[in-house]
Amino acid sequence: MHGNNAARNGSSFMRSQLDRRTLLKWGATGAAAAATTGLLAACAPTGSSGSGSGGKTTVRMWSWYTEQKDTLPAVIKAYEAKHPNVKIESRIFGTPDQYLPALTAAVSGGDVPEIFAPHVRAITYGEQGISADLKKEFGSSFLKDFFPSTNQEYTKNGKQYAVGWEAQTFGLFYNPDIFAAAGVDGEPETWDDLIEAAAKINATGKASVSISCNPTTSALDFFLPLITQVTDDPEYYLKLDQLEKGYAYTNKPVVDALELNDKIVKAKVFQPGTTGTSGDQSSQLFYTEGAAMLFAGSWTPQGLIQNASPEFVKKYKIMKTPAIKSGARHWTADQAGAGFAVSETSKAKDAALEFMKYLYSEDVYADLMNKSNSMPSTQSAAQRVTNPQIKLMTSWLPDGCPHIPFGAGSSAAGDPLGKIFDQKESPAAVAKEMQAAVVNARG
Amino acid sequence: MWKLQRTERLAGYGFVLPITVLFAIFVGYPILFAIYLSFTRWSGFGTPQFTGFANYTRMFNDPVAAGAFLNTIVFAVVTTIIQTAIPLFIAVLLSRVWKGLSVVIRTILFIPGIISFVVSGVLWKLIYDPNLGTLNNALKAVGLGDLAQHWLSDPALVMPSIIVVSVWAAIGMNMLIFFAGIQGVDPTYYEAAEVDGASRWQQFWYVTVPGLRVVTAIVVSLNLMNGFKVFDIIYVMTGGGPSHQSEVFGTYLYGLAFGSTAGSIPQLGYGSAFSVVVMLLCGVAVLVQITLTKRANR
Amino acid sequence: MTTLTTKPPTVPFDRPTTGRGRRRMPVGKSFASLILIAAAALTIFPLIWLVLTSLREQNTVFGGPFIPTSITFDAYSKAWTSTNFGLHFLNSLWITTATVAGVVIFSALAGYAFAKLRFPFKNVIYVALLATLMMPSTSLIIPLYLQLKSFGLLNSQAGLLILYISSSAPFSMFLMRAFFQTLPDELVQAARIDGAGELAVFWRVVLPLARPGIATVIIFQFLATWNEFIYANTVLQNTDELPLQPVLFSLVGQYATDWPTLTAGLTMSIVPVILVYVWMQRQFVAGMTLGAVKN
Repeated sequence: MHGNNAARNGSSFMRSQLDRRTLLKWGATGAAAAATTGLLAACAPTGSSGSGSGGKTTVRMWSWYTEQKDTLPAVIKAYEAKHPNVKIESRIFGTPDQYLPALTAAVSGGDVPEIFAPHVRAITYGEQGISADLKKEFGSSFLKDFFPSTNQEYTKNGKQYAVGWEAQTFGLFYNPDIFAAAGVDGEPETWDDLIEAAAKINATGKASVSISCNPTTSALDFFLPLITQVTDDPEYYLKLDQLEKGYAYTNKPVVDALELNDKIVKAKVFQPGTTGTSGDQSSQLFYTEGAAMLFAGSWTPQGLIQNASPEFVKKYKIMKTPAIKSGARHWTADQAGAGFAVSETSKAKDAALEFMKYLYSEDVYADLMNKSNSMPSTQSAAQRVTNPQIKLMTSWLPDGCPHIPFGAGSSAAGDPLGKIFDQKESPAAVAKEMQAAVVNARG
Repeated sequence: MWKLQRTERLAGYGFVLPITVLFAIFVGYPILFAIYLSFTRWSGFGTPQFTGFANYTRMFNDPVAAGAFLNTIVFAVVTTIIQTAIPLFIAVLLSRVWKGLSVVIRTILFIPGIISFVVSGVLWKLIYDPNLGTLNNALKAVGLGDLAQHWLSDPALVMPSIIVVSVWAAIGMNMLIFFAGIQGVDPTYYEAAEVDGASRWQQFWYVTVPGLRVVTAIVVSLNLMNGFKVFDIIYVMTGGGPSHQSEVFGTYLYGLAFGSTAGSIPQLGYGSAFSVVVMLLCGVAVLVQITLTKRANR
Repeated sequence: MTTLTTKPPTVPFDRPTTGRGRRRMPVGKSFASLILIAAAALTIFPLIWLVLTSLREQNTVFGGPFIPTSITFDAYSKAWTSTNFGLHFLNSLWITTATVAGVVIFSALAGYAFAKLRFPFKNVIYVALLATLMMPSTSLIIPLYLQLKSFGLLNSQAGLLILYISSSAPFSMFLMRAFFQTLPDELVQAARIDGAGELAVFWRVVLPLARPGIATVIIFQFLATWNEFIYANTVLQNTDELPLQPVLFSLVGQYATDWPTLTAGLTMSIVPVILVYVWMQRQFVAGMTLGAVKN
């Protein structure tokens, strides 16, 4: 246990020698460890170094728009060839969940990428001085070509903080074979028609409409346009979204819309377990012919080409979102879920703006959108769409209405909405909960 | 004597210096910052706004937080019990089996732990899919179609289904630790016991089990902590849904900071409050381990 | 579907199913083998799906039979080229190896110190280090990001490396300490009496006996670092510097995923970890026989 007395007394000199030596040894070990780490770090097969190397301006472009994953690089190469002192670093994440931590961190660190997908934070970032006012930077003649709804959604108090990249409209994708087998003729025009068709389809053992309500913001994509259908006023939700004076979720139009939503759910139009179905799952259900219809947006054709069988891709059709009554407008969700904002504070802001102008120039933009089977946000490019499904869905834009909760706290309305889909609450109660949740989330 | 103590002291500090310095700078300080954030309101840009205990008060009144708290505790405790018992059982079986088979089985059982939780979550989400998933298809194929469920969208089934995945992924790791622990028991004890005429299970009971006390304490506390912190696997499979039925603290705080719950304004302050609570829970787990280890070493 | 259901009811077994108070009848080798094989089969089933899917044709992932009727290796070449697999694989390899090296050195040193050396405030430091294990990783993303930024370590693989080592070493230290504690104190005392300095005691006497511990740490750490995703994604901005996992996951889209390519990439990425595991398994065996030769 304790040292041997003899050894202790007789070798204290030895011990002090050992002290120094061992101290040196530890120092050496520690230094070696540090040096090794440092050496390894220096030998790292790193890619190109940071921005500004060799006099080049670097423009970072971040998004999760995987639709253009394969087609965007060529566009970038062409631009870089024309502008040899600019380097575009494009980073396409897989999903918003992979993207948002990186963006949030970059914002908090004060180093925002030059061009970035703003998600629903376009306006809030804009008001904080993070994203630039594109009305000022691009001018109204450039912005005029964009569809009004895509401009509007990013605008507050006369300033526009992002531009739409991929526009979208929602519709009902459907499988004509299942319709025929169930004895459903033609395309349901109204919600009542749809409910009737659903009864027939359910009888054949298939689900009628496949929808994703996980996360609940996807459910908002279905519900919010109903408000426009009830009021025939696409501006209503824009004002409700910002909780302007006189607008509350407990107002009659909203409650009416909730009751309509409730009626549709009660009629078993949707597949069981909607609040547990994610976006990719709802699509899978459709293209494996487990459901007759799919409520989704115009990003779907590209996904179907990638994953569904070629036979299925050939046979599916798309119809308009049903209207509230015969002859009424088929108001359909139509904002641009995919947009781009420009960093206000970046040093390479001007280079970024230049690249954006190039990206949106008619030839480049139309070509890119066509190659990726996506819906463009500009009217000139929309006229040049070649994919028939995209063309069809683009033609619905005049009946477009808002469906994205951009306002502070607005997405909190999603959770109470989920209770309608789960049939856990009455519409009136849900309306109250929505109002409370949104106000609460605004803080 | 003093020289020895001094040498030993200096060695002690020297040996722990690198890890402590790195910890202080890159872990300790950020943890303190996160704790500080829990007393503020911050959206990620600008300066955090001090709000005192407002976040904690909000947490008490938040129905989603209450559900998440319950789920977190249940998940941690249940997975710990299962993930300690089964791997131990398997490790025992392994030590009885032919060595070649043992290595193969060990490698196979270990493989689920090799894939990241994100991948496991994606895989199992597919397996559990009510319409396309292999689980329901297999049940239908053997005529048990009535048992086919909405594994991840039925509120009653979602947590158990997730627990199964956690156990599946954790068996290999925990078994590895137990296996090493069993091997670490001095064979001379077994020889002595056998000389004394002990049967095989008496040997197990009186030699192996006591020798595993420390290892078991470690496995228990590690599993508890991982259970309290769980995030990836649940988030990927259900996102906390349906309607927050599988929400745990890890997923909820992620949603507040980065996800759809945040909407247009991240709530990093409120989210940090949850991480502080998780930290306190983990502190309890550490105390459990220390207590169990002290008892074992007596 | 779970290993819980693999126990056949016909076995003459009475076992309480709670935690530690477990009785066991003499279990025959064949019975044990049977259970283990069943468990292994159930366990590996999802992975078989993974590999099979990587061999499927692009549009037949769903709605086809479990065993694909036609096999193609297209997904592998697509995964290799479209994700620049080689580059990111190398990134992962060097970052993970360096992390493991750093973690093993620092955690072994510290673990030994906490286990066998006496110095004031030892327990305080130990508990503080344990705090690393107690925070959910996602809650530290922003604080860590800001801290790295203030040290100018953002957007560099070296920065990520330091982050990995700092946040992983405490756990490994925890394991190493536990292993060192199983070694008798007399070992250290005897070595000291023989005149060895502290470092020599550690290096020449204690460390060789800790092989199972080190092997365990290597496996754990390699695995954890190889699979890490969210910090790499956030800290590194230059896509060329990214390790493998973030790149593979960008194949998981919000609405549509390229399953064959993704699973092909994942299958390829699992190989190094399995290799490390098998290699470390041998260390285990070697360590075990050494451990038996004490005193």
